[in-house]
Amino acid sequence: MTETLLDIAMMHSDTLIGQAKAGDQNAQGRVVQLWYKRIYNFGYKFFQDHDMAMEVSQKTFISMCRNLPSLQDNTRFKSWLYKIAVNYCREEARKRKGNRSLSFDVVWNRDADESPRWETSSNRFDSPERQLQQQELSDVLQAALMEVNEEQREVVIMKEYEGLKFREIAEILNISENTAKSRMYYGLDALRKVLEKRNINKETIGYGL
Amino acid sequence: MAYKATEQELMAYLYGELEGVEKQVIEKYLQENSEARAELEKLKSLRQLMANVRDKEVIAPPLFLGDGPRVRLLDTPYVRTILSVAASLLLLMLVGRVVGMRMGWSGNELSIGFGAPVERARPNITPPVVALTPGQVQEMINTAVSENNLSLQTNWVATQQKLDASINRNLDLNSAKIDRLVKESSAASQDQIREFVAGMQTENLKVVKGYFQLSSTEQKQYIEGLLVDFSKYLQQQRNDDLQVVQTQLKSLEQNTDLFKQETEQILTSIISTVGSGKPSGTMN
Repeated sequence: MTETLLDIAMMHSDTLIGQAKAGDQNAQGRVVQLWYKRIYNFGYKFFQDHDMAMEVSQKTFISMCRNLPSLQDNTRFKSWLYKIAVNYCREEARKRKGNRSLSFDVVWNRDADESPRWETSSNRFDSPERQLQQQELSDVLQAALMEVNEEQREVVIMKEYEGLKFREIAEILNISENTAKSRMYYGLDALRKVLEKRNINKETIGYGL
Repeated sequence: MAYKATEQELMAYLYGELEGVEKQVIEKYLQENSEARAELEKLKSLRQLMANVRDKEVIAPPLFLGDGPRVRLLDTPYVRTILSVAASLLLLMLVGRVVGMRMGWSGNELSIGFGAPVERARPNITPPVVALTPGQVQEMINTAVSENNLSLQTNWVATQQKLDASINRNLDLNSAKIDRLVKESSAASQDQIREFVAGMQTENLKVVKGYFQLSSTEQKQYIEGLLVDFSKYLQQQRNDDLQVVQTQLKSLEQNTDLFKQETEQILTSIISTVGSGKPSGTMN
């Protein structure tokens, strides 16, 4: 389910958002369909956890449908949506911090080789071996991202994976543009240090890629 | 070199969000500064590496936005607090029953104890001696009331005076104001009327003058025309008369000529008859 050009055009279509705003349930459904993957992946990168990402996405879109009429400027929809998502991510993160119990699954399967995660991965047309490598690499890098502190992680994900402009990030997080850039800088710096510590670089992951 | 790219500028450049002069400045800086260039290269390769984190595929589940978020009653913190309080009370009561605890409220006394209650001597509390008789109280009340009345009255009088004074002052002030206003307005209106009348007069004068001028010239023209016409008519008349006289004279001349000829003929005939010597009676 990769986006086609038409989908991307629709994601930013004012008319669709206008219809959704007016309470057209079809249009709302379409907006959810279009943006779900982005928000889910944002949540996933934030938590590295499918359930949390699903939780955050669900809440985000329910809130979106409820509050869409209060959105003033349709062109701000994207930042607005990410703002909701970020707030829910923070809320969930806070809850998780308070509740220190670990899921039994995670404890049990931590070092297990038969992690089922990669089985659900997407690129079914690649060779299984390549898929596995790709998925492992992705997971390793994702794990490194999790080591970066929350404030910087938000910015890194929004910039690097969601392709938002610094101006938009600043708006979403209610900070100045310069602060956003600083967080990005220190986020990347932290990421580099984590990767160096784990000895992950182009050479060590160069196999088969 | 004075310029050094800040981390913010570096970030903006790395993600292609710089334009124009700013971009040129940082590009120049990078060309001249190999350390910064290396730093940027590191960041770029880090970005390449991180690009390997793939998006997860996910299918949007249907959202049901029926009638608001359904919250189970037992899950709300409020209900939880109440329930826990109730539970602890129940526990307390149970323990109290087992241990034989006893709680009581008698008179003004709360008693908590275990086992049978122990009687205690209660201290005698005598009511305080009444020091004032009702008469005294009445008197006090009366004096207080009268004092109060007195002060009220004086206050009232004072305020009345103040009010009167202020009303009078206001009235004076207002009437003076009104007078002034009326005067002003009347003066203004007289002036206005005068001006208006003067204006009217001059205007009338102008109109009448104009009218007279206009009518006199018109009359002149008319009379001139009349005179001209009349003289023309007179001349015509004279000409006609002259012609009539001339023709009559001519006809008179002709008549006299005719008469002359006739008389001449008659004369000649007479002469001829007389010359031949014949009697006139023979002529017939």
